[in-house]
Amino acid sequence: MDWECCWSREQIEPESCPYIGEGEEDLLVSQRRRIVEKCVECPRFKNDLARMKGSGYPLSDVLPYILTEFQEQKAQMGAMLSFLNSKTREIKFLREVGLVLQTSLDLDEVLSIAMTAITAGKGFGMNRAFLLMTDKDRRHIRGYLGVGPRDYEEAWRTWEDIGRSNFTLRQLARDFQKTKLTSEKVKFHDILNQLTVPLADQGHIFNRALTGKKPILVENALNNPDLDRGLARILGVDTFLVMPLISRNRRIGVIIADNCITHKPITLQDMQSLETFAFPVAFALERASLYERLQEEVAKQKAANVKLREQQELIVKMEKMALVGKITSSIAHSIRNPLMVIGGFARTLLKGTPDDDDKRGYLESIVRETRQLEDVLSEVLDYSESLFPVTDFWDLNELVGKAMGELEGTLEQAGVTSRLELAPELPMVRIDYKQISYCLKTITTTALACMEPGGELRIESVLDGDGVLLRISDDGKPLTQTAQEALIAPFFQTQELGEGVGLSLCKSILERQGNSLTIISRPGGGNTYSIRLLTRKENI
Amino acid sequence: MAKLLVVDDEANIRLLYSQELSDEGYQVVTAGSALEAVEKLESESFDLAVIDIKLKNESGIELLQRIVKERHTIPVILCTAFSCYKDDFSAWLADGYVVKSSDLQELKDEIARVLAKRQRGAYV
Repeated sequence: MDWECCWSREQIEPESCPYIGEGEEDLLVSQRRRIVEKCVECPRFKNDLARMKGSGYPLSDVLPYILTEFQEQKAQMGAMLSFLNSKTREIKFLREVGLVLQTSLDLDEVLSIAMTAITAGKGFGMNRAFLLMTDKDRRHIRGYLGVGPRDYEEAWRTWEDIGRSNFTLRQLARDFQKTKLTSEKVKFHDILNQLTVPLADQGHIFNRALTGKKPILVENALNNPDLDRGLARILGVDTFLVMPLISRNRRIGVIIADNCITHKPITLQDMQSLETFAFPVAFALERASLYERLQEEVAKQKAANVKLREQQELIVKMEKMALVGKITSSIAHSIRNPLMVIGGFARTLLKGTPDDDDKRGYLESIVRETRQLEDVLSEVLDYSESLFPVTDFWDLNELVGKAMGELEGTLEQAGVTSRLELAPELPMVRIDYKQISYCLKTITTTALACMEPGGELRIESVLDGDGVLLRISDDGKPLTQTAQEALIAPFFQTQELGEGVGLSLCKSILERQGNSLTIISRPGGGNTYSIRLLTRKENI
Repeated sequence: MAKLLVVDDEANIRLLYSQELSDEGYQVVTAGSALEAVEKLESESFDLAVIDIKLKNESGIELLQRIVKERHTIPVILCTAFSCYKDDFSAWLADGYVVKSSDLQELKDEIARVLAKRQRGAYV
């Protein structure tokens, strides 16, 4: 019998079978392999089988069953092989990604590898992915990064570039971190901004995925009554995958992935693969975020320590200097009066001594030496005066008037007016004039920093029991609790008060003299700084 | 002849002032404490007071305050061993300020200046 198909021949010519393609020439001489790989699928072979059936061969009725079973088995084998191949690829890929994720403490590197893995063809091959993360105070999930093309043109261009390069996934991620991460953070800004969701909104699909700890595949989102259509509109697709990122029961964030360009269906296998991937990503993201925060805290602590050390050194130095100053001042002061008497009377005697008197030389020596000693004393006193407070009784209203007079130019420059409401007949306060004047000027300057042009600074003095209260009130923005705490914690740095030690120094000065400084932010706006200065009851 | 009240708690200094200023042609009355100074101010009239800022157990500034409040017409020159008061003080309460020295020329000049100013009518 002449058969249509070539199955009966040991060797064939290339034109005998149209299904043998280039590179498969060895099938021309291998009958067994040719039958298994080509003939069982060939229509000519099927025709031969049909003809055989009518020829009365006993096996001809059974052969089709065997063939069908063989084909099914072959198909199953093929599917399993494909599955195995894909799993092998996935394991290899996950291993590659896992290595980076397990070792990296750099948040940007983790983000780059994770997002590249989801979107690269060598990875999960999704068209686009968005990463949303829970914010620091753990109240919202916020859009953090979007990766992928915005349109077809960009998609083809990117995929062509990637196709031409022979980068591994890790190289792709590095390239992404180096060249694209910053621009990608900005690229999807509009979409990311709209993806903020409160963690308390339990009905939202993001929170449902986080609570259920399972990915959710959203299909036909625009017509799904259970879904907020807004999300589909924002994303511009109606099929997308919401993948929760959970690490040790902590909600880290969510990944949204879609095929916005190819519209390729997202399969169950895609979901399972991404789910396997999500765990190390969540863990790595959490670790990298914590590390980043830790680094920030360490840097802050280091800076604070440096500042504290500097300030401690300064305080120790100042205290030493103050002590030295106090001692020298006390000695110098007690020497000055006798010296003045000695020198003064020597001058008096000198005036009545004739020029030719032998005593004149001695008296001139006394005057000269006394003058020299007085000059040395003046230097010592001038120096020591600057090192320790000279407390005395002063009229606070006079001090305020003078200090504010000196600040006239500063106030004018700030466009701020001042109003003095000074109570008459106040008892005198026991203060170091220069230091309190410094405190008033520092507080005024601090208040001015919070004020807008056109504002009014009110300075009041009132009697307050056994003290006098000096209140400086601005109408600027109220200081935050942190700024106020800056007073209690010296050398604390705030944005509002800067890094100076002005106010904490004032507090320290005032407290050393038994006085106090408090600051109150008024709810309606403005701040009031109150200095309470002690008086002495038995004023003369 | 201008009449001066010198207030200092050091007897020798009062003596020195008294002698030197008398030589300059002033009539000098001295007081060793703020209390004594107040008593003298109440019983006599003076053209000028020279007060030491540091009196024993009391402050020359407080005495000055009292003089300013109760006897506005009498000019005051403060004397002290500390120069730090000068900047803060001369601008307002006292009419003059002198750092204590064995050379009384500065004090004498300051007295002459303040009295001349008074004569021009500034303290009437």
